[in-house]
Amino acid sequence: MEHNGFLLEQKTLEGDLNSDTSHKNSVDFLMNWFRKRSIFVLAYGTGCGAIEMPPTFTSRYDAERLGIRGAATPRQADVIIVSGYCSYKTLRRIIRTYEQMSNPKYILALGSCTVNGGMYWDSYNTIKKLEDYLPVDMYVNGCMPRPESILEGFIALQKEIGEGKASSWKKYEENYEFYRKNQEAILGKKVEPSYDADWYLYDGGL
Amino acid sequence: MFNEIKQRFATDDVEVKRNDLYKVRIKYSRLFELMHMLRDEYDYKTLNAITCTDWIEEGHFALTYMLTTEDRKYTFMIQTMINREDAQAKTLSHEYKQAQIMERDLHEMYGIDFPGNENLKELSLESWVHTPPLRREFDTLEFVTNHLIFREGREDNVDTKAETKRLRAEKKAQKSKDEEVKDGK
Ligand code: SF4
Repeated sequence: MEHNGFLLEQKTLEGDLNSDTSHKNSVDFLMNWFRKRSIFVLAYGTGCGAIEMPPTFTSRYDAERLGIRGAATPRQADVIIVSGYCSYKTLRRIIRTYEQMSNPKYILALGSCTVNGGMYWDSYNTIKKLEDYLPVDMYVNGCMPRPESILEGFIALQKEIGEGKASSWKKYEENYEFYRKNQEAILGKKVEPSYDADWYLYDGGL
Repeated sequence: MFNEIKQRFATDDVEVKRNDLYKVRIKYSRLFELMHMLRDEYDYKTLNAITCTDWIEEGHFALTYMLTTEDRKYTFMIQTMINREDAQAKTLSHEYKQAQIMERDLHEMYGIDFPGNENLKELSLESWVHTPPLRREFDTLEFVTNHLIFREGREDNVDTKAETKRLRAEKKAQKSKDEEVKDGK
């Protein structure tokens, strides 16, 4: 059957996904298939790239047709998107959020800021290379990446999941000392932010 | 109003920047007197902003207080100099509530102390232990080089500007060559 319009687009996007044959056995294949087809993305954004996420997930680009949708809390999410520059303060929150997510979990990094600092390359308050602090599965470059690129990044991630290659959370557990060392180098011994709202009450609220 | 300010505060430094924007430079010791005068007699009731400029060569900070009238039509900038070493200024947080957070910001970014302001905790930074980042002796590039890990450049490591120039020149040469061949025919 000839496809055109959105059917053609869908077919082109998904073409790679259906053709993977690299699974070891059928249980693995099934598990990975389930995983790649139901990706829950944490509703969390940092930096300017976060503004491209609402269109990606709503009707115009409709990521849900590919099995990608939002999740409200870290415990329910599979993917966290680091959507731009992270200042030290944000990095603390990202680390805590990431550690709260349950396995398997993946990180998608958007924008040149996460790759090499982008236009904040000489800023005193943002990190330059995200993969030194957290394991990144997929980078999407651009400043900022359009929803199309985000979708392609997701497809590439789904493909890796389907092939069983995306295993950054294992990498994080195995090399925890390395990551922790880098985190402590810039954030100090106490990496996680404190839970209480003392700072808020102390200031008398907003 | 200008004449009164000039006489009373013995300054000539009154400037009309726009027909709704005035600026005066004044000694720090007379600053609050002038602010009170503007507020009580000329209706400049709102404090819009407190900004700071670092004049490292001259050894002082220039603090600018922006006051606006109640009908939002006129703005007055009052600039004053304070010493750069152990910079200190009297707090305004008891007269203008909004000054509290402005002073907190200046304290964080320039290290200016405001005795009397009861909350000068960090505002947007977190556990910052180095020089306040907007002071000009703070070398951002040096700090970044020492504290953060950069990504190495691309493997081919070409200077993109030089490379673009070279490619363009090559293209041009090729084009003129082609034209010569054409003309030759
Ligand atoms: S890559 Fe560009 S759009 Fe993305 S966070 Fe950095 S500056 Fe903003």
